[in-house]
Amino acid sequence: MKRLAAWGAAAVAAMALALVPCIGSPTLVQFGISTLLLATLAQAWNIIGGFAGYASFGNSVFYGLGSYGTAIAMLRMGWPFGVGLALGAALAVVFAVAIGMPVLRLRGHYFAIATLALAEVMIAIVSNLDIAGRNIGLVLPLLRGDTMFYELSLGLLVLTTLTVLWLSGSRLGFGLIAIRESEDAAAVVGVNTTAYKVCAFALAAFFSALAGGIHAYWITFIDPASAFDISLNVKMIIMAVFGGPGSILGPVIGALLLASISELLATEVSTAASLFFGFIIVIAVVFMPRGLADVARRLPQLRWRYFGDNVRTHRL
Amino acid sequence: MLLLLQVLANGALLGGLYALMALGLALVWGVLNIVNLAHGAFIMLGAYVCYYLFTLAHMDPFAALPVAMLLLFCLGYALQRGVLNLIIRAPMFNTLLITFGFEVVITFLAQIVFSADFRAINPDYAGANVTLTGVTVPLVRLAAFAVALGLTAALSLLLNRTRVGRAIRACAQDLVAARLHGVEPRHIYALTFGLGAALAGAAGGLYGIVSQINPYIGGALTAKSFAICIIGGLENPFGVVVGGLFLGIVESLTSVYVGATYADVASFGILVLVLIVRPTGLLGRTT
Repeated sequence: MKRLAAWGAAAVAAMALALVPCIGSPTLVQFGISTLLLATLAQAWNIIGGFAGYASFGNSVFYGLGSYGTAIAMLRMGWPFGVGLALGAALAVVFAVAIGMPVLRLRGHYFAIATLALAEVMIAIVSNLDIAGRNIGLVLPLLRGDTMFYELSLGLLVLTTLTVLWLSGSRLGFGLIAIRESEDAAAVVGVNTTAYKVCAFALAAFFSALAGGIHAYWITFIDPASAFDISLNVKMIIMAVFGGPGSILGPVIGALLLASISELLATEVSTAASLFFGFIIVIAVVFMPRGLADVARRLPQLRWRYFGDNVRTHRL
Repeated sequence: MLLLLQVLANGALLGGLYALMALGLALVWGVLNIVNLAHGAFIMLGAYVCYYLFTLAHMDPFAALPVAMLLLFCLGYALQRGVLNLIIRAPMFNTLLITFGFEVVITFLAQIVFSADFRAINPDYAGANVTLTGVTVPLVRLAAFAVALGLTAALSLLLNRTRVGRAIRACAQDLVAARLHGVEPRHIYALTFGLGAALAGAAGGLYGIVSQINPYIGGALTAKSFAICIIGGLENPFGVVVGGLFLGIVESLTSVYVGATYADVASFGILVLVLIVRPTGLLGRTT
């Protein structure tokens, strides 16, 4: 019953969000597009990071491949936007499968750093490719249609979230959770860990690449440093972990909340915005280490003791 | 042939400094299992301490290194004792996130206090060099290299020959057993993190002497230190030195013979390969 109410609320919220371009100011719509895309990225990260427990720093590579795939298809081949998106997504999925096989064998910090290194390598490689405009970047045709981009981003976020909802009740999702809790035990009970992890990686790649493609066409300019930006990947992780990794709506709520906070800070106290942002991260990690989803579950019972409890379980 | 020798010499000298940068990260990672994303920011702070001691107090930059190390040690000790000890048993994401939070705060404050301008520590003897069989060796880089190796040896002695060092290694191996033998982990953890920060401070001072600094250099230096830790392994300080030398030499070879833009492809490509072939590092033990 409670679950049903939560989903009803989520559906109403999605519909309300869909109406924003009709009533909101252009600035709000633009803020909305970038925030919805960030929420999509956080949700896509949730599949590999939250469910499978693999701290990927390579999702910004998928985002970048999506951006460049779309841009190259539109500029160099003259294909329409939709085909470009599909090409970018296909590129990212192929890359995820090819690179996932060796890299997903690594665990913990080692996986995190290998994917971090991949992002660095991609920046350098793309900066040297003629077809990708080297380090100058590519300029896409201008399309004035913030409403279209907004609805597209919202649709993508809903699609990603529905996929995660399906995942949470599927064999694949349970397998990924088993891998997160104990990979050896999962393998012993017959989970094909490699195939499951590569699947999760490819799913994350697919949605991240679509977000990248939409962003590229909206912003009309991409260059290697911004398309493969690692701090974007850090943002995804922060948003997903803040919201609650491994939950269904947590990463979306975390992303919307954090993006709004940082936007408000940027307008109210422009110079100190990143300072506050840093403090919020530190405080959130200390007092609510399992994210908003866990706060929503346990705070009503424990009240203020919740925060003390968290510190007590995790301190030395 | 002479060019090759010169390139190798440059790479090795750079590599010594790289090794010192990575040493603190490796120590903290190996003992506390924290990958400190603020490590590069600590290096940046150390560089600014030396810069201001040199420009305002007219101290010799090499003499300013101990001051930078002391200040960074205090900062590291306080951060671990006050904040990081609170979340040490939380999942890995959380320690990554919180140190990233530190990095954001430190970089922001540095940009306010120090301004975003590029700075360099330029003592009178900055241009001096010696020529050995045709290979030019800048004296400052040679001195930085020597300091880096000296500090590595000092850390190795500290870990292997002193009571505190034994306590640090005990905490890394088995926390429960260490506690049963009377080790106070809160203090030892803070001490270890402080030592890591002090090493970053020294690396920063040397980096400021051989290169330019601004408040944003931290992120790239953290990534580079990571790469070195992986290549060298975490078990032994001298492994980190080998990792640093390797990376320095590979980078200078690629920038001369392939192109400067490929230096990062080479170093990070090697990192990925090493991880795939030997996940415990080139010199690490296979488990």
